[in-house]
Amino acid sequence: MAALGARGCAAVPARLRALWGPHARRGLAQDVGEGKAAKAKPAFTDEAVQTLLYKMTGLDLHKVFRPVKKELKPPQYKLMTEAQLQEATRKAIEEAKTRLVMPPVLDEREPIDDVLAEDKFLEGTETTKYIFTDITYSTPHRERFIVVREPSGVLRKATWEERDRMIQIFFPKEGRRVIPPVLFKDEHLGNVFQQDRHEDLLNMCIAQFEPDSPDYIRVHHRTYDDIDKHGKYDLLRSTRHFGGMVWYLVNRKRTDGLLIDMLNRDLLDDATSLVELYHMLHPECQSAKEAKGGNLQGVELIKVFVKTESQREGYIQLALQAYEEAMATSTAS
Amino acid sequence: AGSRLLKGYRGGHVVIRFALGGCANRPFFRIVAAHSKRARDGKYLEQLGCLDPLPNAHGERVAGLNLERLRYWLGCGAQLSRPAEKLLGLAGFLPLHPMTVTGAERLAQRRRREQQAGTAPADGPGAAP
Repeated sequence: MAALGARGCAAVPARLRALWGPHARRGLAQDVGEGKAAKAKPAFTDEAVQTLLYKMTGLDLHKVFRPVKKELKPPQYKLMTEAQLQEATRKAIEEAKTRLVMPPVLDEREPIDDVLAEDKFLEGTETTKYIFTDITYSTPHRERFIVVREPSGVLRKATWEERDRMIQIFFPKEGRRVIPPVLFKDEHLGNVFQQDRHEDLLNMCIAQFEPDSPDYIRVHHRTYDDIDKHGKYDLLRSTRHFGGMVWYLVNRKRTDGLLIDMLNRDLLDDATSLVELYHMLHPECQSAKEAKGGNLQGVELIKVFVKTESQREGYIQLALQAYEEAMATSTAS
Repeated sequence: AGSRLLKGYRGGHVVIRFALGGCANRPFFRIVAAHSKRARDGKYLEQLGCLDPLPNAHGERVAGLNLERLRYWLGCGAQLSRPAEKLLGLAGFLPLHPMTVTGAERLAQRRRREQQAGTAPADGPGAAP
């Protein structure tokens, strides 16, 4: 296994750093603090973890480039030679890779409550509060000054929700609303899940919320829980949300459903990557020690994992048997 | 009449003040750096922000201030109008305007006087019989 210590920005692959910008640095600042301890827990941004998650995501071109609702234009046909077709496929794969970059997974942000000034004699002069935003174009949004003067006279920094609203008012971003849509409330998420539109919901959530806001984390966790409950893992396969979902499940040790789904679809490599990731994140568990000791590969690794770590052992054994039979018949015929 | 595009004034200075816009019963102020001799809503040098005096759905009055450009104009020697000074005092960019403090104290005094006037006549007719 590669060394797991967080080595600062060098650990983040270059393409991720370019796309995530300030979030990569923020997430890693926390890691570097923890990494000073003897054994650093592998973070979402480590190269090894990212390669495993990326392998599991898959690359189904038909799904990545599925038609998005746009203006209606007549289809374009091109006449190509074999070589040109291969070149076009290669370029499509490159672009698919950029589309599959995983959105960042960060901890929930700390609420801001910082008082800058208290002027008690202003009590009663105003009835509503003033909210002042600094609209200098060149400051990054994270460092912008947004303060609130309450009717009681106290001048405080704005909360995260007020900050997001003001920044959206003065520097509107596409796909984001000033007031978050009602869709993201818990009672309405059920409707979305019934229509199997988890991917669209997650895309909307990424557009609307910051990655470290509690709403973003809550919506993502509800989606992953629902997918795990109903076994609809294939909805997110070959999208950029698959890595985040696997990270969530492995951290909470609920990998059984996903493992069964992978074995049913004959994706043995993905199953082994999943078990490897599990061992990376929980090195103290028994199957991890056995695997390291015995240097197991493939089906053996999964069998050891199933014996020690899983809750639904029976189902996984059945799926493994079915897979081995399928392999036997396919090699025989 | 002459062209209004390039107006040459005698004297005058740059001020940072509010320019009123909006519609009937719906004011909206733009915080603007302009020549003092220009019309209130006329041609300005640069817009430095805005203020919405009516509270929004969350009960707040939104104001945006381009602090970098504000500092530039103040450095160029622009003066501020009194409402602009008061607003920047409330924002914390400048110290609180003395008239804000005086206004708050006067309001508190008036309220106290009304309260005493309210209790005194109540005592009077009550104590008399």
